[in-house]
Amino acid sequence: MKLTIGHIYPNLLNLYGDKGNITTFEKRLSWREIKYETVQYSPGDTIEFSKIDILYIGACSGSRQHTVCGLLQKQKSNLKEYIKNGGAVLAIDGGYQLLGHYYKTGESLIEGLAAVDMFTESGGKRAVGDSVIKSYLSDRVIVGFENHISQTYIGDNKPLGQTISGNGNNGKDCGEGVVYKNVIGTYLHGPLLPKNPHLCDYILKCALEQRFGSALLEPLDDSAELAANAYIMQKYGGF
Amino acid sequence: MLKITAVLVAKILIFIGRVFGKKGSSTPGHFALMIYPNLLKELAHDIKGGIIVVCGTNGKTTTNNLARSMLSFGGEKVVCNEVGANMLYGVVTAFAQSARLSGRLNADHACIEIDEISITKVLDHFIPNIFIITNLFPDQLDRSGGMDVIKAHLTAAAEKAKGCTFVLNADDPIVSSIGHGKSNCVYFGVQGAEKAQECAEKKGHFCPLCENELAYGFYHYSSLGDYCCTNCGFSRPKTAFLATDVSVSGEKTRFTIDGKEIVSDLPGLYNIYNIVAAYAAASFYGVTLNGLNEILSGHTPQTGRMESFYIGKKVVLNLSKNPAGFNQAIATIIADKRKKDIVVVINDNAQDGRDVSWIWDVDFECLCDKSIGEVTASGLRCNDVLVRLKYAQHQNTNCKPDISAAVRDTLKANGDVLYVLVNYTALFQTQKILKALEGEKTN
Repeated sequence: MKLTIGHIYPNLLNLYGDKGNITTFEKRLSWREIKYETVQYSPGDTIEFSKIDILYIGACSGSRQHTVCGLLQKQKSNLKEYIKNGGAVLAIDGGYQLLGHYYKTGESLIEGLAAVDMFTESGGKRAVGDSVIKSYLSDRVIVGFENHISQTYIGDNKPLGQTISGNGNNGKDCGEGVVYKNVIGTYLHGPLLPKNPHLCDYILKCALEQRFGSALLEPLDDSAELAANAYIMQKYGGF
Repeated sequence: MLKITAVLVAKILIFIGRVFGKKGSSTPGHFALMIYPNLLKELAHDIKGGIIVVCGTNGKTTTNNLARSMLSFGGEKVVCNEVGANMLYGVVTAFAQSARLSGRLNADHACIEIDEISITKVLDHFIPNIFIITNLFPDQLDRSGGMDVIKAHLTAAAEKAKGCTFVLNADDPIVSSIGHGKSNCVYFGVQGAEKAQECAEKKGHFCPLCENELAYGFYHYSSLGDYCCTNCGFSRPKTAFLATDVSVSGEKTRFTIDGKEIVSDLPGLYNIYNIVAAYAAASFYGVTLNGLNEILSGHTPQTGRMESFYIGKKVVLNLSKNPAGFNQAIATIIADKRKKDIVVVINDNAQDGRDVSWIWDVDFECLCDKSIGEVTASGLRCNDVLVRLKYAQHQNTNCKPDISAAVRDTLKANGDVLYVLVNYTALFQTQKILKALEGEKTN
């Protein structure tokens, strides 16, 4: 049994400790003695979607988003196919935004990958701070840090969770992030997975089921991770 | 009359602040400038020699204070915001403190560090003679708005201060790009010290002119090294001040500049950059290499810059507040071959930046070295640090939110030396604890 993690442009998409998310996937697999391989893709590489079990798209600053979107346009149809077939994706911040139809900033419009029916518009007040959300994927809350000046609208898709504290996708509908098939997109970094081991395991489970038809994840001692989760929950979530 | 009142009010407020144990402060400068808005402009005008300003993510305080030590060595009077109050009002406080009650300032030079976001505001009041930029690294992204914003501030400042001489880090692509195409720039750098940086990874640095990934000849840390863009040809500029033959692993830091060996107690490669930057600026005012070793041996570093204590064993306190600075601290600790234990204190107060995701860009994996015993996580975000250490596979970790308890307990471990790495708001708090413990031991 082996999982392959596809890490998209780690040198370009690495704004908020993104490699912590990759490390969390890797360690939680290796502690369960499940083999893994992480393949780093650079601009110009062809992404071998058939080999990948989890695709990771990290965070980037606004000015770099244009470059990244342009580079990924060529892989658009393969990405859509991967997602349609149930491939797991975790996309954070700038990586999340580019899954949608477009990212509009003032006069300019960056064409997205249109892999999920959603769009993003820049403007308004910058949303910065620790955030707590209640997700239907787990009993335990998901915590993270958001820092974005854009509003994302996810249409009829389900959000990853409802905000208990924080701005969320657009500050209007209380939704944060998106879940579409096995795609999870979110503004939350921190990075996201170390303080949310339940979410990491959910993604690992999706990937294992997709590849091997079933998934059994041995429980781990998550006391350190859950203490970090609880600290944010108590400080900002009010319970 | 208003000017005299402004200086007087500032001096009284500085005095009151001192009584209450405050060190650097911006409040006196704030009031002084409200009373007399031209105060900074006029006091800066009184400086007889030169005004040096220092900007950059890391090394501002050390570089600025080194320049001050160099310029004041011959007995000259130098205005300096030495504790690091580096926004507009902190700068005003430093000038007002040095002014006479007559409202005049009798000083030969000024060495002023300035926060990158405040620099254009300060330049409304005076234009320096020398403008040092040490480096630009990712730091407090939730406060600053990111590297693009910081670079934009400095580019605007460089435009405003056109007439001055820029002293720029040649090894930092973003810093050197600020001087690209300008004639009034001199560059400093360090040549070939790769061996000092075992943990460094040279990937992921991009050309500030065309966004192409940079290739490196030699590479030091973060983005620093001998870079070249294979797309547009942008490359490390020629240096006028170059440190070579670098050694940071012994008891003393050693390097050579223009054939002269320089020796310093300031540890780490990053301090060689600080020394060379300060020397480059001070050389414009007659400081020569001949006197440099004597100046450096008399220089006292500021609070928490590898500051030493003795509490039954040696304890070293260091401010480490972003990935570049933290990784340099780790490299310096690894170069110390004694057995050591470590306390890491991370807070997330407003001045620290609320976002602690940067700890995942710190190479905590390098702390899995056989010379390192216990590592204790402390401060408001000790839980995050503990998780980071767990995923770095460190075997011997503890978590103690209370800094005093963390220090006391880790002192009991077997190491010969205890390193305490703290971010900004934990610095003075931790220093106080260490001083008290040092006092207990000697009494």
